[in-house]
Amino acid sequence: MNKKMQLKRLLFSMESLVDLGQEVSSSKELKEKMKAALYVMTGILPVPTAALFVYRSHRKYLHLLVDKGYREKSRKDIKLSILSEHIKRFKMNKPHTIRDMVETAFYRLNDGVFAKLQTKMFVPLFAKDEFVGAIALGSKLGGAPYHAGDKDILMVIAHQMAITLHNAQLFLELAKKASENKRLYKSMQRIYHDTIQAFAAAIDAKDDYTKNHSYRVASYAVAIARELGWKKNDVEGIYVAGLLHDIGKIIIDCDIINKGEKLTAPEITEIKRHPQISFDILSKVRFPWKNIDHFVRHHHERLDGKGYPDALGSTELSDGGKILALADAFDAMTTDRPYRGKMALSEAFREVIKCGGTQFDTKITNTFFNILRKELNGEAKELQILRHLQNIDISSFKALDQAAAYNGTTTESIHTNKTYVHM
Amino acid sequence: MSNFSLSSKSAQDVAIMMPKGYINDMVAEHLEQTSEQLLGKGVKKIVVNFAEVQYINTIGISIFTSIVQKTLDYNGVLCFTNMKKVHRDILEMMGLIKYVKVFKDEEDALSFMNGKG
Repeated sequence: MNKKMQLKRLLFSMESLVDLGQEVSSSKELKEKMKAALYVMTGILPVPTAALFVYRSHRKYLHLLVDKGYREKSRKDIKLSILSEHIKRFKMNKPHTIRDMVETAFYRLNDGVFAKLQTKMFVPLFAKDEFVGAIALGSKLGGAPYHAGDKDILMVIAHQMAITLHNAQLFLELAKKASENKRLYKSMQRIYHDTIQAFAAAIDAKDDYTKNHSYRVASYAVAIARELGWKKNDVEGIYVAGLLHDIGKIIIDCDIINKGEKLTAPEITEIKRHPQISFDILSKVRFPWKNIDHFVRHHHERLDGKGYPDALGSTELSDGGKILALADAFDAMTTDRPYRGKMALSEAFREVIKCGGTQFDTKITNTFFNILRKELNGEAKELQILRHLQNIDISSFKALDQAAAYNGTTTESIHTNKTYVHM
Repeated sequence: MSNFSLSSKSAQDVAIMMPKGYINDMVAEHLEQTSEQLLGKGVKKIVVNFAEVQYINTIGISIFTSIVQKTLDYNGVLCFTNMKKVHRDILEMMGLIKYVKVFKDEEDALSFMNGKG
């Protein structure tokens, strides 16, 4: 080759290194990136056949990542077995001719594969002293020999490819860890929810009449919060608050809770302690959701300030507390209690309407009826309220229609002094 | 988006491939795959018309290297036509030209191929 040609070739090789840089730093998938890099390498020399392997340390073999120039069938299930003592004998990123390798244990272990790939040159890839893979190159075009200059070029390119492989492996490890953390987090979240549900079941079990009460309250509360456009995390919070709102009842005497007759004044005072106790218990828990303890504390508060334990007024109460108040009262109306039977649904609807503005916030009751209407009209994705209500008859809907008629108008006209009381 | 496309046609027992645009990324591997399919089907005479080729880099050289080697493996004949000087110089510098027949145009390549029986 004359000097002018040599210079041209050198310039082309330098251009090729720019091509290589562009390929390895591209946003392509690793396989695509490494294949392009292998093509750059085999274009500079030029070499018709080559294979790039990735090191799988835990399996003690080199796994074929990409290749070029082989016929489909010839490279099926190709891998190179390798032990750590073999790796120690490699010179980092330095091309080894197969002639120099025939006496090594590594070659003897894989001679069949090397023959299949017609390997003439083997380049172990190292990045930061770590073995990451290898390249097996076939003969140069037309069987021309590899020159010393070719080996220098191979070393430079091998170094770049090794770094790219190493970075990709680090990224994969990170992604694997992130995925494992996510799995653990989900598993913990499930355990957390299961534990909360177990608590709710324990609370309800104390009262013969309120089986699944907490679950229904949580379900109604979620429906209302979603309809109000609450964020997913806040909806999750109101669900948990619904499940645990009566946790304070665990220290109230069972005889009072299940008493079938009118409660005495001291008994009423005793049972009225439960929202405060619920708050005391839950305020010590570091929930990942905001204000659960406050929502629970206020589930017996009323807009007119006649509720307990704090007798707060409308402006002092949070939407979460107001939602729980309605959900809790509605479930109490529509289920049997030790001191009375359950109300007819139509009666319960009327009761909710009557108590709007005094006991319940009309924003919340209107939202509740909107959900019911959607569920009745088949417009809701899931039945969050209706599925808990049995024996729905057409007269119930009339009450609902009545509620619709008052929606958006003044509710004062339908208020009576009668309000719904439950514990 | 890649600036490469490939069309092909046949004239009797000769397959003619007409790559277009830049042969500088793995999209152009299509050229290598097409030639391998042709050789695999028993087509031994292949013409590559470079008239619409704008740029060839190392990846392109690597692709042509494989095409040349496979044609040799299948005892086929490979002709290049309508080459710009810059492309011919690159392929010559990389040692590929000595394994192919270069002609001015398809017509010359076809008359050579047809003469080969």
